[in-house]
Amino acid sequence: MFRLLSVRAVAATLAVVAAGAGGGFALAGSISSPAQKAAALNRLATVATTDSSTAPAPAPASAPQPIPAQMLSADAPMPIAPAILRARNGWLVSDGKTLVAVYAGAAGNDPSVGRVVIVRQNLAAGKQSVRAIDAGSTGELTVTAAPLGRAAEASALTGSLRLRTAGGRLLTLDLGTSRISREPHGTPLP
Amino acid sequence: MRLLAGAVAAAAALLSSAAVAGATPNPVTAWYMYGSAASDLKSYAYAHGCDFAQAQPGTSMRVLLLDFGAARKLDSSTWGAVDFSNTRFSNADILSALERAADGYHNCHARGSVDIAYGNSNYHLSGSGMSSTDAWWAGFHQSERSEDLADYQSSKGYTSQTSDAASDMEPSWESPSVTKQLVSGDLAQGWALYYDFGSADGCPQSGSADGACNNGWHVSDVGYVSYAALALPLPEIYYMANANQWTVVRKWWNANAQGTYFFPGITASTGVGLTPAASWNTLNSLNNGLVESELACFGC
Repeated sequence: MFRLLSVRAVAATLAVVAAGAGGGFALAGSISSPAQKAAALNRLATVATTDSSTAPAPAPASAPQPIPAQMLSADAPMPIAPAILRARNGWLVSDGKTLVAVYAGAAGNDPSVGRVVIVRQNLAAGKQSVRAIDAGSTGELTVTAAPLGRAAEASALTGSLRLRTAGGRLLTLDLGTSRISREPHGTPLP
Repeated sequence: MRLLAGAVAAAAALLSSAAVAGATPNPVTAWYMYGSAASDLKSYAYAHGCDFAQAQPGTSMRVLLLDFGAARKLDSSTWGAVDFSNTRFSNADILSALERAADGYHNCHARGSVDIAYGNSNYHLSGSGMSSTDAWWAGFHQSERSEDLADYQSSKGYTSQTSDAASDMEPSWESPSVTKQLVSGDLAQGWALYYDFGSADGCPQSGSADGACNNGWHVSDVGYVSYAALALPLPEIYYMANANQWTVVRKWWNANAQGTYFFPGITASTGVGLTPAASWNTLNSLNNGLVESELACFGC
């Protein structure tokens, strides 16, 4: 995470960098940062790049369990920043291997644009994706119907959610294709 | 003599780093934490630690940011967080998960080093019944658990690891007075750097004045939670406007507060206006090289 701007910075930083260090804030060493940070910044500078122990740690005894499909109300924490999404509500499911969370609302920079943000985590592959899908000038979107409960844990990962626009129109979010369409005929939005 | 040798070795390493100064960093994954039970949280954290180590680019230190959700007071004497599946976890549960992340990183470690950060947010703290004092204690205990994690790392010989704290502090989510208490509590405990991976929502996009931001915040408030005490900014840069706002924060700080404001890096995401690389480049171009090479990315 740490780089240097110049050889001058190298010299200035030497005082706080120990041999074998794995990193440290180069700039912190070359400019005046608040004194309260000094000890913590020095700590970073002394971290090695190898472990002194080579003994493997035990892996967790249990695999992640499924999370039943559930609605997320407005009081549940939203991971998506308000700059991206003014969230109304959300929905979540996990089969223990793949997790899908959908957050509905309006675009952070334009409340007239309906937006959903889909967070997917593939725990086996160690991948996480975040995708924003806009529905156009619909106003904010709300998830109004979705698969719920344990029975939906696997099937819901590629199922459909019903969305309502600010004007009361119904839309469908297809999790399999990550597309929003109009009901009742599934006409894709432009 | 050993000190001199160490200094020479460090100089060589740093000169090598200087050769790549200015290069756009490779992103590392930051994780939103979900789980319906403490055992889930531990399993996920172990996997995230291992995945992070396997994918870690280069040999420098990177931040493994685990976002456990909103800081919460769970009962009269217990603090923790409510995660993104709306499940409440105590700090003891979160520490166990952080230790599993350390285990996972150790088992899969290939290169470089890691700073494992206990992340939370200021999401609706007062709305959940927390007072300013409660928020102060939330920051205090967050730092305390980070230090506990460091003790664990040390006891296990994980010398390529350290630990700190982080918070997604969004002006839109909570008042400045309550949010600042997270930073103040962290300072009182004294261990953890406090990475702010939040926003400067609604702040001015030009100038260096203490202008108004969302929800009663001002530029100076964002400056406080991102750079006062042990705080350091890893700002969310998703759009050009975000880079402009954080540049104003930096300028305000340098004109009015102690120390020279710099960015250890940024927080980015996929699926938004700027790609992660463009996010980092944009902030760096506006701040004359005062952006270090951390690029934590949700969605990468």
